[in-house]
Amino acid sequence: MMRGLAFGYIRAIDAVNYRMGRIVMYGIFVLMGILLWSSISKTFFLPSLWTLELAQFCMVAYYILGGPYSIQLGSNVRMDLLYGEWSLRRKAWTDLITVLFLIFYLGVMIYGAVSSTAYSLGYWGSEPFSFLAGLATGAEEVGRAERSSSAWRPYLWPIKSIMILGLTLMLLQCISELLKDVLRLKGETI
Amino acid sequence: QSTIKWRMQTYAGAALAEHVIVPAVEMFNKIAGDRMQIELFFADQLVPTGELFQAMQRGTIDAVQSDDDSMASPTDVTVFGGYFPFASRYSLDVPVLFNQYGLNEIWDEEYSKVGVKHISAGAWDPCHFATKDPIRSLEDLKGKRIFTFPTAGRFMSQFGVVPVNLPWEDIEVAVQTGELDGIAWSGITEDYTVGWADVTNYFLTNNISGAWAGSFFANMERWNELPEDLQALFRVCCDQSHYYRQWWYWGGEADLRVNGPKMELTSIPDDEWATVEAAAQDFWEEIAAESETKRRVVDIIKKYNADMVKAGRPYRYT
Amino acid sequence: MSYELIATLMFSSMMLMLLTGQRVFGAIGFIAVVAALLLWGDKGGFDIGFSAAMKLMKWYPLLTLPMFIFMGYVLSESKIADDLYKMFHVWMGGLRGGLAIGTIGLMVLISAMNGLSVAGMAIGSTIALPELLKRGYDKRMVTGVIQAGSSLGILVPPSVVLVLYAMIARQPVGQLWLAGVVPGLMMAGMFIAYIVIRCRMNPVLGPVLDPSERDMPRAEKMRLLRAGILPIVIFAVMMVPFVNGWTSLVESSAIGALAAFVAAVLKGRMTREVFENSVRNTLGITCMFMWIILAALAFGAVFDGLGAVKAIEGLFTERLNLSPWMILILMQLSFILMGTFLDDTAMLVIVAPLYVPLVGALGFDLIWYGILYTITTQIAYMTPPFGYNLFLMRAMAPPEISLRDIYASITPFVLVMVLALVLVMVFPGIATWLPDYIYNKP
Ligand code: NA
Ligand code: NA
Repeated sequence: MMRGLAFGYIRAIDAVNYRMGRIVMYGIFVLMGILLWSSISKTFFLPSLWTLELAQFCMVAYYILGGPYSIQLGSNVRMDLLYGEWSLRRKAWTDLITVLFLIFYLGVMIYGAVSSTAYSLGYWGSEPFSFLAGLATGAEEVGRAERSSSAWRPYLWPIKSIMILGLTLMLLQCISELLKDVLRLKGETI
Repeated sequence: QSTIKWRMQTYAGAALAEHVIVPAVEMFNKIAGDRMQIELFFADQLVPTGELFQAMQRGTIDAVQSDDDSMASPTDVTVFGGYFPFASRYSLDVPVLFNQYGLNEIWDEEYSKVGVKHISAGAWDPCHFATKDPIRSLEDLKGKRIFTFPTAGRFMSQFGVVPVNLPWEDIEVAVQTGELDGIAWSGITEDYTVGWADVTNYFLTNNISGAWAGSFFANMERWNELPEDLQALFRVCCDQSHYYRQWWYWGGEADLRVNGPKMELTSIPDDEWATVEAAAQDFWEEIAAESETKRRVVDIIKKYNADMVKAGRPYRYT
Repeated sequence: MSYELIATLMFSSMMLMLLTGQRVFGAIGFIAVVAALLLWGDKGGFDIGFSAAMKLMKWYPLLTLPMFIFMGYVLSESKIADDLYKMFHVWMGGLRGGLAIGTIGLMVLISAMNGLSVAGMAIGSTIALPELLKRGYDKRMVTGVIQAGSSLGILVPPSVVLVLYAMIARQPVGQLWLAGVVPGLMMAGMFIAYIVIRCRMNPVLGPVLDPSERDMPRAEKMRLLRAGILPIVIFAVMMVPFVNGWTSLVESSAIGALAAFVAAVLKGRMTREVFENSVRNTLGITCMFMWIILAALAFGAVFDGLGAVKAIEGLFTERLNLSPWMILILMQLSFILMGTFLDDTAMLVIVAPLYVPLVGALGFDLIWYGILYTITTQIAYMTPPFGYNLFLMRAMAPPEISLRDIYASITPFVLVMVLALVLVMVFPGIATWLPDYIYNKP
């Protein structure tokens, strides 16, 4: 039962994050396009107001949403001075514990992202989660929405929401990694 | 009894802060001694300037020195901080507007609503263009990518200026890497102090505001926790900072225009520049139409400027 | 608890966390947010981690990162550098150690087309290394050649490390890049000198290429030289508009990425597989960098909030009472020491902000220091046990190259690099002459 649940979770989360990563990885061309347009518009017409800032938003979406897929790819370096020499079992045991630290970090990041997003939607209280939940149910209203202090003045809640999404997916991916380690220690093959 | 510790972040970088805030903080620390110490952080050091307000509201930072515009305060008076186009001509206009014309009360109301203590407002320098290429007519402004304040940028974009917003500390490098063609953020004193005079060649003598307006703020709870005498000391040191800037900029602007070796002065003819001044009147109305509070502030600015014109010399020569 | 103690605790627990082998960004980020929570209490502490993300968003020069990474992958995956290798093979093969010398030349050209050492390493170990081994070159020497040569990638412009340094030191990237040119070429020259001397003393290390391999009509030989045009074109397309101020830094990086992509397409090398690998690996490596920087920025903000930066300054200048040069040398040594057990990117983002202001305060030129810094980083990249280049080499080298070979191979080259470091320290003009000349032209 637990085993089935764990496998189901791993399969579902890995699939979602895989899809997300496969889509986001083409963002490199979006980014390139924006920057190229920036140089073209500057050379031949008036410089665009929005290129640099939009490129910054794209970059954030690119690396935050692509994060979980990069975990799947094993791109995130580890210091393998000791780790590299260990047996698979020992690695799994250590990861089992230390991934909790990573999960804690992501949890704090998500809290920060949620409170910052609530702020960007005009909420200044101390219960950002219930505010966002209230928005969904209609119990709360959007207040003074935060805008970037540039001349283009985009609203900031969309990019902050994307960050909540990306951090949450990252957290889910780390839990998936944790479950994989548990299963490995139980002798399952993944 | 343990020492009260405050973290204060200014929106100025280290080189500028050396003049505009460090002396005041050092004075405060010397007098308060073991009772209270303020640790000063420069632009973007603890949190990015765009997050200053939220950080202060939550207590990550206890106090802030900034204009309302740069830190994007969620209030109705935010547009008037920094450089509200042509609202003031001299740096003394700002304290008069706040202390004698009622802006203090409005600011206090607005910031109390969002849980932040507005302590006091003061003036910095006028807002001039410092650019790589010379500006001698409005035509020369077209297409220039300029680092400037949000509201000033919004106003100047009708003349073809392309306002760019970057972290303050990155400006000098951004001019060199070609992200920017120039800066409309300060007078000539700051251009020299922070190094922008080294990367630009021309200084436009026409300004779009005679004095920056900015303030000291504190987290409301932290402020209320302070004993009355430390509150008073804090205010005195803020006033000391305002006073230092009054003479430092006033003298510096004249001196560097006359004796500064790094920038060539250019001007847009008065009659051409008058179209910009006229556009500011429309801009004021546009802003005033946005809310009741903004209407109140615009009316005060109008009244003040009308009074100054009537008062004649030395308040107004034209 | 005193701030110094908290700072020491933070640093040592980060080291400990790193030793557990958890992903570097997780280790650093965890320490950062826990320290923030302890120091700020529940209210402000929760936000420090996330506000680093907003700060990172505004660090616009980082937009060049995926561009340069993509360029590097396109170059190495599409094997458009094959022709380049062939050129050096034929032209240099007649000399003792000529193929090794040619490989250094190859590395210089690849360095001019990308911002990291990864591409040089990949091209060197997949194209050059097997050829060199087949021709009887000493495996330890050539392994060292490739590692040392590929490290030029971050010294010869464009360079991602110098972009990061520029952001931390708030110095113009253009001048830093130009400052890297002469020291980069000098170091390449020193590597070549080392190869020539070794092979003269012991010809077995680098035998002369069999004439049958390099005998070809003169016209054919000249035609091979055309391969050298590609790097020059890509370099020029990127650097000329940038140095002249027509395009900005980030725009130039996009132009460079486009140029590499177009070159691969025109040469018919942009297969489905190459495309897939380049795009996917760019995401992976960019994420690796960005997540580490994200965590390190939070760590740095907490560290700064503690006044640790001031504490270190005070330690060096007042308590130890050292002369500026002594401090500088100590800092370089501590970098190499830390590089032996700290991740390179993390080192850059955590340690550089501590040192750079101090270097400035001591009155040293920060452009010049950027080059010292980069050379030191290169050395740290190559020295065991923790070195990015070592890992890459281990992953990419053919099986007959053991870990022991890799470790042994770098020793002489590290000594050459230390010599280069000393030269740049003693003669700052090596670094500062070119940027002064280009940017201050009358
Ligand atoms: Na390079
Ligand atoms: Na190392």
